[in-house]
Amino acid sequence: MKRLIFVSLTIVALTIALAAAQEPRVFRLGGANGPTTVPAEPNRPAPKLADGTIDLSGIWSGGGETEIGRLLKPGELDTILQPWAKKLMASRNDGMDPYQYCLPGGPLRLTGGFAWRFVQHPTVNAKYIFQLQEASAHTYRQIFTDGRKHPEDPSPTWLGHSIGWWEGPTLVVDTIGLNDRFWLDGSGIPHTERLHLIERWTRTNFTTLRREVTIEDPGAFTRPFTVTYTAKLGTPDSEIMEYICIENNQYGLAQGLQAPTPGETEK
Amino acid sequence: MKMKLWVLMAGFALCLAAPLAAHHSWTADYDGGKPVTVKGVVSKVEWTNPHTHFYVDVKNPDGTMKTWNFEMASTLALERAGWTRKTLPVGTEVTIGGFGGRAVTERAIASSITTAEGKALFVGKPGQ
Repeated sequence: MKRLIFVSLTIVALTIALAAAQEPRVFRLGGANGPTTVPAEPNRPAPKLADGTIDLSGIWSGGGETEIGRLLKPGELDTILQPWAKKLMASRNDGMDPYQYCLPGGPLRLTGGFAWRFVQHPTVNAKYIFQLQEASAHTYRQIFTDGRKHPEDPSPTWLGHSIGWWEGPTLVVDTIGLNDRFWLDGSGIPHTERLHLIERWTRTNFTTLRREVTIEDPGAFTRPFTVTYTAKLGTPDSEIMEYICIENNQYGLAQGLQAPTPGETEK
Repeated sequence: MKMKLWVLMAGFALCLAAPLAAHHSWTADYDGGKPVTVKGVVSKVEWTNPHTHFYVDVKNPDGTMKTWNFEMASTLALERAGWTRKTLPVGTEVTIGGFGGRAVTERAIASSITTAEGKALFVGKPGQ
């Protein structure tokens, strides 16, 4: 009997896998857009700048696209979301995601399925580190590394106010001042303007970048929690490319919604 | 031992299914249960983002013409796979397979393209 259950389970799972594999291989706004990545080199150490600082520079793929619920233990997200947040998330569907309409996806999704680049000023005591992303409409994020503090009560923005510092080989990035208009991830996790992200970026070897993020928002979550993403290094010849999302976004038209953007160029 | 093998196989298959099933936002617009295959001539190319669109003039069985609008990958994904805006120019005869739009069948998403010479073209690759 047990064996029959296992066989049945296997058949069901394989059927789902095959059905998924045969679906159209075009994903919206990420997933299939990033650069080809280099083969893993786990024994090759991360490069360093002249002053010994770890060099994060390079073109990277991934590091933020996975839905948060998939990075937690089964059922854990339910214990983290406050009741209102759980209710709001349940009411959301893809068609409501601001990201589908070419708005920024906030700091986590900045490193989704598109190519992005860390730009690290090669001088000692550099004031900034930048993240450049090709998606949305060419998004940049500036991380202040000159020791400044967050401003008092900053006006909320899509990428917030980020300050960074080094703890050994790890770049710690602390972000506040985020608006509540983006979804935290593709599954529609809500948050408030009290969202606070603490990212720990570690280039664990030449080809791999680990991003551990502690997420706290006393307005939406019952407690702080931590998720870990991984970004892979792009091939040396890969570059970020132009991608103006609002140019011709026909999202929703095939399902009968009205033209969502002025970019519609239907024949 | 045999039992353990089945457990492993079931686990493996479920692991395989989970990430593949993760990217489903295209299904808001397109119906996976509405496969389409049309043969026609490319009449317009929109080499744009967030996605490219290829318009194909298709002759209906009654002799009338209908223009289909096929959504394809972004210019980034296509160019990284070797495409240019001239890979599938206006006037090319193609057979395109895909899935029809939920409300407007002729607004479809492409999953395969074959030229009249039988050459299959890249249409996108997950995880690229």
